[in-house]
Amino acid sequence: MAELLSFIPTNDICDFGRINIFQERMSARIPTICPERAELVTASFRHNVSDPIVVRRAKAFAETLDKMTVYIEPNSLIIGNQASANFAAPIFPEYSFDWVISELDEFEHRSGDYFKITEDTKSRLRQLESYWVGKTHKDEVFKNLSYDIKSAVSLSVLHFGGISMSGDGHIIPNHEFVLQVGFGNIANIAREKLQQDDLTQEQRDFYNATVIAMEGALRYCKRLGLCAAEDAAHENDARRKTELLELSAIFKNILEGKCKSFREAVQSVYLIHLLMMIESNGHSFSFGRFDQFVLPYYEKDLQEGIITKESALELIAHFFIMLNSLNKVRPWGHTQFSGGYPLYSALTIGGMLPDGTDGTNDLSYLCLEAMSLSKLPEPNLCVRFWEQTPHDFILNSARLIRKGFGMPSVFCDEVCVESLTTLDIELEEARNYASMGCVEIAIPGKWGHRATGMTYINFARVFELCLHNSHAFQQKQDISNVLAKLNSHDKINSEYNDYDELWQAWKLALSYFLELAVKCDSICDRSLKYHDADAFASSMIDCSLERGKTLKNGGAKYDFVSQSNIGMSVVGDSLAAVKKLVFEDEVLNLSELLEALKSNFDKHDGARIRRLCLNAPKFGNDDDFVDNIVADVFESYLELLPKYKNDRYGQGPIGCGYTMSTSNITSYVPNGFVVGATPDGRLAGKPLNEGASPCLGADREGPTAVINSVSKLPNSKIAGGQLLNMRFSPIALEGDDNLVRFANFIEAGRHKQIFHNQFNIIDSDTLRRAKENPHDYRDLMVRVAGYCALFSTLMPEAQDAIIARTEHDFS
Amino acid sequence: MNGFISKIQRYSTKDGPGVRTTVFAVGCNLSCLWCANPELIDDGVKFLYHPRKCVKCGACVEKSGGTIRLTDVGCVIDRQNTNLDECSAVCYYDAYERVGETIAVKELVNTLLRDKVFYDQSGGGVTFSGGDAGLQSDFFREVALQLKSNDVHVALDTAGFFSWEKLSPLVEAVDLVLYDIKILDNVQHMHYTGVDNQLILENAIKIADMGKDMIVRMILIPGVNDSEDEIVGRLNFIKNLGSNVKLDLLRHHKLGAGKYAALGLDDPMEKTPECSNDIAEYVASLAKDMDIAVTIGG
Repeated sequence: MAELLSFIPTNDICDFGRINIFQERMSARIPTICPERAELVTASFRHNVSDPIVVRRAKAFAETLDKMTVYIEPNSLIIGNQASANFAAPIFPEYSFDWVISELDEFEHRSGDYFKITEDTKSRLRQLESYWVGKTHKDEVFKNLSYDIKSAVSLSVLHFGGISMSGDGHIIPNHEFVLQVGFGNIANIAREKLQQDDLTQEQRDFYNATVIAMEGALRYCKRLGLCAAEDAAHENDARRKTELLELSAIFKNILEGKCKSFREAVQSVYLIHLLMMIESNGHSFSFGRFDQFVLPYYEKDLQEGIITKESALELIAHFFIMLNSLNKVRPWGHTQFSGGYPLYSALTIGGMLPDGTDGTNDLSYLCLEAMSLSKLPEPNLCVRFWEQTPHDFILNSARLIRKGFGMPSVFCDEVCVESLTTLDIELEEARNYASMGCVEIAIPGKWGHRATGMTYINFARVFELCLHNSHAFQQKQDISNVLAKLNSHDKINSEYNDYDELWQAWKLALSYFLELAVKCDSICDRSLKYHDADAFASSMIDCSLERGKTLKNGGAKYDFVSQSNIGMSVVGDSLAAVKKLVFEDEVLNLSELLEALKSNFDKHDGARIRRLCLNAPKFGNDDDFVDNIVADVFESYLELLPKYKNDRYGQGPIGCGYTMSTSNITSYVPNGFVVGATPDGRLAGKPLNEGASPCLGADREGPTAVINSVSKLPNSKIAGGQLLNMRFSPIALEGDDNLVRFANFIEAGRHKQIFHNQFNIIDSDTLRRAKENPHDYRDLMVRVAGYCALFSTLMPEAQDAIIARTEHDFS
Repeated sequence: MNGFISKIQRYSTKDGPGVRTTVFAVGCNLSCLWCANPELIDDGVKFLYHPRKCVKCGACVEKSGGTIRLTDVGCVIDRQNTNLDECSAVCYYDAYERVGETIAVKELVNTLLRDKVFYDQSGGGVTFSGGDAGLQSDFFREVALQLKSNDVHVALDTAGFFSWEKLSPLVEAVDLVLYDIKILDNVQHMHYTGVDNQLILENAIKIADMGKDMIVRMILIPGVNDSEDEIVGRLNFIKNLGSNVKLDLLRHHKLGAGKYAALGLDDPMEKTPECSNDIAEYVASLAKDMDIAVTIGG
């Protein structure tokens, strides 16, 4: 029988058997590479040489939609395909193409996130290679990188794989608006604008592009409708035939104007999402508050007897499952930072409304139930809660979490809303936030690209450079020269006389690298202005259509960005160990510690020194000494941010500044590869900590101590998202009493300034077995870092890092 | 005032309602053969040795001057003649675990208050367990009073083998008593726990008569106290304690078995199996038939 949380169906309208079969088919889907989009976009670009880029891109988008393969996924109530087959990744040569060609023979042999690829596909893609040489976004970025940035990258301090090689993504369209007017009327608005004679060339180009893109999108819908009608003609099953005919009827004029029904609304949300992912290969295209903007359609149809709760549940479950038919391929170097085929399409439910009342409704509950049925990585289901959230809703969320596939993650309104008001966003607006990707939050329909995920800064590597090279970080202007001469085999001559000297050097080092990271952000951003000039996605965000600007040119109402910072707990634990062992207790001197670190604790006295390091205070145990140092590390970054602006500053959007984010996906694993042994006792090459979570295995006092430690961090200033990931043993959640305890534990986070929390409920033995026997655990899904992935798809190092997380198991 | 404890376990779920922090006192005046925390029976510091963590480096062997021997399965320790305080200190791999620390009232209270938000949200609190906290009744009474003045719910988990003069001030200071009734047959009780159960049963009645919230914990051990007479006898006793009293059934488990080896002791109940779910469910159904509020716990 169906795996429901608490919903009791009163009729048999929802076909749970079919959902189950669909779910199983989708979880066994095979990732492949599809060459169609690359060919169609290349042909279009070749043909439309003289058009301004925004028009050229819109034409390429529309021509792709006109000519690509369309098909109807068998037995699905939701239709629409991104590429020529289920879970096939399209290629986006305009962003970067050299790696696609050089990795063609490697895709099938990756240790994680592999892709099947045919010889035919390889040869079709190779034929396109010559056209794109020197023309891509990546070429533009690499042309502009300064020597200092390149050297910071080669020192493994900075990483910018995502923003230098692909589109930006990270937006939540204004669904309310799009469902209200449809693509058709967005095109009409653009046409009206074109009647004005005071337009700038930029505006004229944008409106022309919008008309082209929206019309292309509508033609794609019509193609799908015809396809459904054709399938219906050959369908023998009576029920399926009816469904296909209904779909073909809906698709005759879907999204031309106002959406007419619940079914059409859910289908439209899927199409909007899908089309953005054909226009560009960014990720984290998110849904915003799905349970709010679909509610009017749900309530009307329910009242008129057109739908029942059961049929609504069935449709949402199909919608959730179909989101897993989409895919994205990244270069291997970047894949290690984001394993598990993630798309990070966040769908947010629950939470307070702009007027300060609670918004939890039927659909919030049904989305939990649908996720309980779909059990797949997308969408990334996010639950908002606050003081007035019904306890029953948290209890149902806890029931879903207990199932052990990492959904949903929970966001605390009191903390998230406050974090947005630190960016001077008005309270009513801030209350309407939604997750955009992993843990970053934004105001749906009003926010530009990239709430987070600009350049990654490896904090642990910065600290390591600083600790071992005191001479390099005495004066900022000299740093670049000194770093150029760095040789990790140099004789140790690093000297710090007290903790404050070390701390000042850290601050100097961080500010040096942050400045480079911001420069790097701008280089990528300026290139994306051209290469990610996307009329389709832009025109669904507030102000863009009014201003006649793409998002990258300043089209959004709000535009804040954040980088991704990795390893704050490693740095804090290490600083605490040095402070205590070297400067306070004086049980070690700095040079013997540094020597032990250089040898990875392998010299004769290494074991003794490592034990001292391991026994020093660790973040995650509610120990003020070290918790306050980790908080200092956060503050040392936060205090530098106000002076930095992003590239849209002064172009229209409110803000255009920086905030902080600890959303660092699986990058804490490869970022650890390049960091030697650290004073917290961590061995060379081992993973760093994940987000704001304690170091792997460092938290020994249980989950409440972890929460207490994290509560001492400046969480409400981290508007880019503060990531906490905890693992409980299944035993700790067994039975009704323990479920209630766990729900109460989540609810208590509200009083502890916990921005966000996510859970894995799997014991270590199961994970170990799954690593050994991937085929027996094909459907084992885990919470990675702000998103969920099938465990078997992760590379072995990331699997080990998940196994090494402290498992909270109490009796 | 100082107490002597082994650990403070946060997010405890089996020692009373809600999310709790459990304090384990060192020292017990019973010596139950099935004890899951044998390191807490005798007073004083103990050392557990974990072969799993031992890398056989020989540092402790050298320090011991011959009373610790290195073998294929790890270190064999002549505990009578070894200063484990010194020898364990030279281990860099945490193969030795030191159990037992002195803690002041104020320090303990401050630590326990750190999770107050979780207690409040879940209807939880603090539980004194052990060992038996009753042996340090002055200390724990003071801790309880200070917790109470901070509105924290406090539970005492005790076997109750104390004079009423010693036990009652501590019982008065707490909100809930978790009370063990291990065996009703006194001869068997003497055999398995080392003490007479007369005082224990009398104190149970006195605590119930105070109107104190009480959960009687009834452990089920195959072949020891699961005969029909024993079970029905204990249920009748509990029923007669009155309606304030609830019952929590504890299944005998083997989770503490490894501790005997780690302490260099023989497990006296090595051959006794764990209690099955079926038996626990059966006893629970008997209790329900007698209108006793029952749960199945650890």
